[in-house]
Amino acid sequence: MSWIVRGSALLFGDDVNTDLLHPSYFYSLDDKTVRSGFLGAVPGREDEAESTDEPRIVVAGENFGCGSSRETTLRALAMAGVQAVVASSFGRIFFRNACSLGIPAVTCSGANAFADDRDALELDLDGLFLRNRTQGAETRVDAIDPFWSAVVRAGGLILFLRSRGEGR
Amino acid sequence: MGRTLTRRILESRATGSQWEGSDYFEVEPDLVLGHDATIALIVDQIGEAIERILDPEKLFLVADHFAPPSTVDRANILRRFLDFAKNSDAGEVHLFEGICHQILVESSRCVPGSLIVGADSHTTTAGALGAFACGMGSTDILAVLLTGTTWLRVPPAIRVPFYGRMPEHLRGKDLALRLLGDLGEGGARYKAVEFEDRSDAPGIAFDGRLTLSNMAVECGAKNGIWIPDDRTRQYFHSMGGEWPAEAELYPDDDAEYEQSIAVELDDLEPMIAQPWSPANTVPVSSIEGIEVDQVFIGSCAGGRLEELGDAALLLRGQRIPAFVKVVVTPASTGVYREALRRGWIADLIDAGAVVTNPSCGACGGIDKGLIAAGEVCVSTSNRNFRGRMGDVEGRVYLASGLTAAATALTGRITDPRELLREKTVS
Repeated sequence: MSWIVRGSALLFGDDVNTDLLHPSYFYSLDDKTVRSGFLGAVPGREDEAESTDEPRIVVAGENFGCGSSRETTLRALAMAGVQAVVASSFGRIFFRNACSLGIPAVTCSGANAFADDRDALELDLDGLFLRNRTQGAETRVDAIDPFWSAVVRAGGLILFLRSRGEGR
Repeated sequence: MGRTLTRRILESRATGSQWEGSDYFEVEPDLVLGHDATIALIVDQIGEAIERILDPEKLFLVADHFAPPSTVDRANILRRFLDFAKNSDAGEVHLFEGICHQILVESSRCVPGSLIVGADSHTTTAGALGAFACGMGSTDILAVLLTGTTWLRVPPAIRVPFYGRMPEHLRGKDLALRLLGDLGEGGARYKAVEFEDRSDAPGIAFDGRLTLSNMAVECGAKNGIWIPDDRTRQYFHSMGGEWPAEAELYPDDDAEYEQSIAVELDDLEPMIAQPWSPANTVPVSSIEGIEVDQVFIGSCAGGRLEELGDAALLLRGQRIPAFVKVVVTPASTGVYREALRRGWIADLIDAGAVVTNPSCGACGGIDKGLIAAGEVCVSTSNRNFRGRMGDVEGRVYLASGLTAAATALTGRITDPRELLREKTVS
């Protein structure tokens, strides 16, 4: 069975931190509040907070998701439809948070030069390709580290541990 | 090639399980740090598994974000945390006593050579004691609670030795900003930073070392560890700690570093980070004169005795200009009590500053000191990201306590050197 994720491109540059993606004042136990903070402080992207929850694939530059460890950032991205995150590189905690929540985080050199905003993308996690169906292009992506790949395939860290008979 | 200190600590805590084809292996942390905001997120998932939390004695919990809570939502978040803290038999629980990173290093639980993980990015602070300490997200920490272990890999390491002599006007914060400017926000991504104080007396103050470990994460580092020395030993003893007899405390003589950044201290000047990145640094002298609306002295990066003392030194007997808001939030009750005892809190209040209770305060945009659209703030905290400390159109500059105090005094961004000279002469 092939592992393919589809969504429209959600484009970011370098060093986009979690405070921009989800400002702390949207930190809440209420899902609606968390969702409404999506891209709350990204200049020019404030309207995305109102966007429909269509499937999206983030394509970003270097050091995506640096800064705070607040997991609500990823919860907000997931609630807003983000299926996978492709970046030139990730902030360390963001990468672990994404995989721990079962969201594939894949590195790909120059990821954000490969798509325009809302291009139709297809991420093939077995073949290790990112396809841009709008532009008819294709590029290689790196394999996720085997440990974290197993975590993502299990649906996240807690399901992974359960599948191994730990932490039940 | 020899092993870095980071590698030695991680390998000493390995359980022996390595994931096939991966660099990740299973390790057993000595201590797990958590606070109200991030722990509250996983309480539901722990649910009945609370009885199976492994080694609750290793759990170090601090209510510091919503401390005390200022909205109903936050009151409910804190309630969840407190119920969990009560039911989990956690080894230590601290309520409204200050910021978790400061409380940890003021306890004897932050043991040199130990492995610490925490549900907060600034967990790196504990590296100042010679511990391996890194931050994680809530679910990652939940897994540690349920299994007693986590999966890490050994990061490549950057060695940062300091030489020369600390000038009187220089603080750990200036060194952190200098390093950030050189490395950039992603310059140490996934890497260990191993600091070593090889400078002449008086050396780098312990509070300054804490700031450097704290801000290592701002250049992407996994951990920012100091090679323990006499100062570490002295500090740890003063916190009631017993120096570990058999611990991983030093790198091998021929340790393999990816990069070495030797820092000569003598000629360095006070630094400041401009909006909206901690790595956007310039000498304070190059942007003097920018009018400010607020000065914030606080946070796990800059709310310790070093900053409060510098602020008291410059503001004592002076009056802060009208319309400049100066908010001081001590990093812990320990810091607060000592600053009170030394008369510094009175100095600050008399000068026109407001002193809040120890907590994360304005730093994370939480409460007591947020800034408005168009306002300019000089802050001793660690992040000046857009929207981090209030309105997205507010502008935050990061600097040392000394620079922040000089700025509070004049209402404009001010290089503290001349004011400091006047103080020392008089």
